[in-house]
Amino acid sequence: MLETPGPGGALPTRPRASASGRLRALLFVAPAVLIAGFVVIGGIGVALVQSVGLMPLVGEAEFSLDAYTANADDLLTGLGLSLAIATASTVLSCVIGLTAAVIITQGRISGRVVAALSALTIPVPHLIGAAAIGLLVADSGLIPRALGLTPAQWPDLVGGPWWVAVVLEYTWKESAFVALVVAGVLATRVAQYDETAALLGASRARRLRHVVIPLARPAVIVSAVIIFVYTFGSYEVAWLLGRPYPEPLPVLAFRLFTSISLTSRPEAAAVAVVTTAVALIVVAIGMAALKRTPLWR
Amino acid sequence: MAMMIPYGQRVTPDDRTTATRGLMRPRPSGRALRVTLAGLLAVWFALPLVPLLLWSVANRWSFPAVLPTEWGLDGLATALAQGGLPVFGRSFLLGLAVAAIATPLGALAARALTMGRVPAARLVSAILLAPLALPAFVAVMGLTIVLLRAQVPAPAAVLLLLVAAALPYTVYTMRVAYAAHDLAYEDEARTLGASPAHVLWRVHLPLVAPGLARAAFLAFLVGWSDYVVTVLVGGGTLVTLPLLVGSYAAGVGNDAVVAVLSLTAIVPPLLLLLALGRFGRRYPTARFAGPTASRSPKGSP
Repeated sequence: MLETPGPGGALPTRPRASASGRLRALLFVAPAVLIAGFVVIGGIGVALVQSVGLMPLVGEAEFSLDAYTANADDLLTGLGLSLAIATASTVLSCVIGLTAAVIITQGRISGRVVAALSALTIPVPHLIGAAAIGLLVADSGLIPRALGLTPAQWPDLVGGPWWVAVVLEYTWKESAFVALVVAGVLATRVAQYDETAALLGASRARRLRHVVIPLARPAVIVSAVIIFVYTFGSYEVAWLLGRPYPEPLPVLAFRLFTSISLTSRPEAAAVAVVTTAVALIVVAIGMAALKRTPLWR
Repeated sequence: MAMMIPYGQRVTPDDRTTATRGLMRPRPSGRALRVTLAGLLAVWFALPLVPLLLWSVANRWSFPAVLPTEWGLDGLATALAQGGLPVFGRSFLLGLAVAAIATPLGALAARALTMGRVPAARLVSAILLAPLALPAFVAVMGLTIVLLRAQVPAPAAVLLLLVAAALPYTVYTMRVAYAAHDLAYEDEARTLGASPAHVLWRVHLPLVAPGLARAAFLAFLVGWSDYVVTVLVGGGTLVTLPLLVGSYAAGVGNDAVVAVLSLTAIVPPLLLLLALGRFGRRYPTARFAGPTASRSPKGSP
């Protein structure tokens, strides 16, 4: 499985770059890079080629942008909807997750309880989370039962106009993710700075504002980008807890992809290309924001 | 890094703060706020699991009732009758297969990136992290046609796509592990005459074992939780646990079955997570001290 490096090979402090060391390093990274590169570059590339009509299932290949214009309205509506769902989920997850992380690192017993319960959420698959949220907040769910409300009195959270159940599911799962990542960072780095600031007379609020939050910022930005891209491109939760129309981009792409009409494959690919473009823009914005944080080396 | 306290602020602690109580000890009001917040967060994280637990043991739960009106295990019986066990086994195998491929590949790449001289290291790292930035359905929609034309069987195609999705996690986890890994142990073993295979099995792998376990757990989760790749590429031929939950949850009146299947999907990774926590903690003292203390590399062939 793993080979050990030769005597000349490995320590980063050794300046010699032997040809065999480079070759070995290349062999080590090659399988992973080939798989990831094939899936990412191949996936985007083929989707792009398909979306402009150069790879039809039958017939002549011909360049056209029909796939983008055929569903222009649905595409724009879906784009707005997906952006709104992803933004709401990301902001709420970061706020709740950051609060949880501060509680986890500062509280003793309360911190341990929150840490254990948020860790419990991490391995739950999103589809299972969606089923659970459905059983909780649907109009026959546990909450309206406990409050004694009839379906008429309870708002349409599942399949309603505001996609509340979808955002709730994402926020539930991803706030635990933010809590895990940020608490990890806070536990290792922040403790000494926080104590130093306290020793120097900084109040609790001041330490939170000037020590804890700035130190947590890079981790929050990275998790926010991951959450945004995930919720923007995720299918199953919006499919299960959303309404049939309008459709977020992944649901639209899924419907087109599995439809039987011949033109729908390129149209699905066009939706996929638009989704990827937005995801890449968000990653670029996140990288730019990360470089502006004080901790960036 | 600059100190976070602005220049010119009072930096001597005042007597009221230090004399009456410890510096870091919270004020009663702060404590109350924190306990309240912790309580709210505990409810937030735990509440969605409550209806799953209740429904899984409810035969009937007619609407206005707050608790099930008839307790029982009908949900479990239906889940088993609908092929719950083979589906569970298939999901588990898929998770294991993703972990078995993505973990060693991630570890190899991470080791080379942390210690070796990889050409264009930034580009390589970017490619390895890229699957995180690519929505899964895009990769599927692009590659299905290619994989179909190459006559790759559906399970293999699913596996390939999921391994790619898991690689960012395994590479990142193993980079963290190798960053803390001291090569001097391996050099030491080699100086004492250990063969490369011996160094690998007795020194290198035991030292990074906790990292490998974490990476394998994350990769397992990718295969275990996936929905969209399995449903689009597998086209219904490969039925895993999330697919079964999805088909029941999309219908009406299956709440008990959905709850049972959902709990089945939550419990195994949770047990793995607990095992991982124990393994990570116990490892440095018990596991590691044993073999190295009792066995000298020189004595073995």
